[in-house]
Amino acid sequence: MKAVGARLPRYDGIGHVTGRTVYVDDVRIPGSLWVKALRSPSHNAKIVKLDTGPAEAMKGVHAVVTHKDVPLNVYGHLSALGIPGDEPLLAEGDVRYQGQPIAVVAAESEELASAAVEAIVLELDEQPALFDVRKAFDADAPQIHQWGNWYPHFEAEMDRRQIRKGDIDAAFDQADVIVQGVYRPAAIEHVPLETQVCQVVPEPSGRLTIYSCTQALYFSMGVVSAHLQQPLNRFKFVGGTVGGGFGGKVDTATETMCSLLALKSGKPVRWRWTREEEFLCSSTRAPWHMEIADALTKDGWILGRKMLTLHDSGAYARFSPYGLTKHSFHHTGAYTIPNLHFDGYVVFTNRVPTTAMRGFGVTSVSFATETHMSRVAHVLGIDPFELRLKNANRIGDTSPNGVTYTDPSTVPTIQAIAESLGHELPGEYRAMTPGKREGDLLPEHLVGQLGNPEAH
Amino acid sequence: MKLTVNGIEREVESAPLTPLLFVLRDELEVESPKAGCQQGGCGACTVLVDGEPRRSCLTPVAAVDGAQITTVEGLGSPENLAPLQQAFTHHYAAQCGFCTAGMIMAAQAYLDNWGAEDREMIQTALAGHVCRCTGYVKIVDAIAAVARGDSFDITITAESHDTTNVGGTQ
Repeated sequence: MKAVGARLPRYDGIGHVTGRTVYVDDVRIPGSLWVKALRSPSHNAKIVKLDTGPAEAMKGVHAVVTHKDVPLNVYGHLSALGIPGDEPLLAEGDVRYQGQPIAVVAAESEELASAAVEAIVLELDEQPALFDVRKAFDADAPQIHQWGNWYPHFEAEMDRRQIRKGDIDAAFDQADVIVQGVYRPAAIEHVPLETQVCQVVPEPSGRLTIYSCTQALYFSMGVVSAHLQQPLNRFKFVGGTVGGGFGGKVDTATETMCSLLALKSGKPVRWRWTREEEFLCSSTRAPWHMEIADALTKDGWILGRKMLTLHDSGAYARFSPYGLTKHSFHHTGAYTIPNLHFDGYVVFTNRVPTTAMRGFGVTSVSFATETHMSRVAHVLGIDPFELRLKNANRIGDTSPNGVTYTDPSTVPTIQAIAESLGHELPGEYRAMTPGKREGDLLPEHLVGQLGNPEAH
Repeated sequence: MKLTVNGIEREVESAPLTPLLFVLRDELEVESPKAGCQQGGCGACTVLVDGEPRRSCLTPVAAVDGAQITTVEGLGSPENLAPLQQAFTHHYAAQCGFCTAGMIMAAQAYLDNWGAEDREMIQTALAGHVCRCTGYVKIVDAIAAVARGDSFDITITAESHDTTNVGGTQ
């Protein structure tokens, strides 16, 4: 426990301040080819014609790779958990978001690689696109995904992440007041200062050495191994130095395509995304649509919550079902609500696929629930600190997914915030602890849930 | 063409319009300036040209023929850190590190030209330098500490670095 509370230097701090830290783009490999991608100019279209011949005929172009070169083109980021894949490594038949990779080339210079991309013949048949998750369920909405417009593979092949706890109808029947709110945080691009960079070297042994800026090295190994249908021992990943990720370098964006190009050309390749590519084609934090209705007593008890979440997954599923699951577990925030009715959908749109970013799925729901708590306090005319302390998680309370809290920190956290803001709390709230509920803090509606996760 | 890079005169063979950034990185193998955006928007490629901060990605090498170029490698070494390098380490002003070299060069020019411990002036000097990790506060703290003349114990920092860089056995 020497490290806890101690002021330790960063292990990589000296390297950073002296310019000695070696990022992927700093690795010098003589004779490397430059990689560029042909990306979809369309949000949604059928591919009518794709002819890479003119690019392949160019002097100095050593390899062009399309879906035909990928041993397993469709593989999902959650496939290792048994969930079927939906996303092609390189577009096949159709494109579903602007910036989707269709072909990649490796050439002797960056300029030549760009010219080769320009030379590829691409003809598209434009299709109507879907951008608004709220319209995805309409009968006349464009159908944009082979699974339908929302993800259908939650447990038992449910088409939503669903939580039912307690007796939601009774809670709303008993309510003095119902407060509703809609919360819609927008997409956010991670903007790491280091764009996606990858270098791959084909070794004489037949193995590939892959210099990767991934945040998830072993995960990326698995993804490359699956697409290439080769065992893990064919790949030596070199990573661990990431020039900013924030969740945006969890998805395997470059390593597989670079590996295919290195194998096909027999030469080392390097791919450094431009800032435009990073902004336009890389994954983002998802935009979320969240609707909350709370059943409340006049004195500020939350009897029940109904919530609907539409998680904008973009064109493919990637990790979104996982993000929505985390989201659902946190949909009461740091507070205890015994009666719950939650439905969350992972909705497909023609945006770039969305992914993790700093608290995957939870930052969105925290924004919604905390804003809603303040709204409730305003409507009821109750101090927002007191409302939060009253409903705060206590030892023995149960979470939406039935976990009994043993050491919840809501009470001391809210007290500390009040103190730091100079907000005077009444004595009973100042004296509050995270201990088990009793007396005034154990009203009738909370008796059943106390220490009894099986009750719902 | 010739450049004096961190005190050493170097011949340059790249084409005249090659950005200084890629002359440094690809021809001279001075890797600390980074290609963050290649359009002058992020500051990660900043170097000193005759003492003034410049975006090396937007600077054709021919435009600085004969100039003195200073990068973070020229400020100090791991064994002999410059005050700003000590301060950035001490104040945890470098997280992922990708913006750090550019930040430090802009800060060095600020200290050389102005030197005041004025947070607003420091922020102005760093305008256009993007950091996505730290939220900037620690970076301004570090520069202000140098402006103030704080001292930092290099030996402890260097020793701690050696002992903690062995796989987390501390």
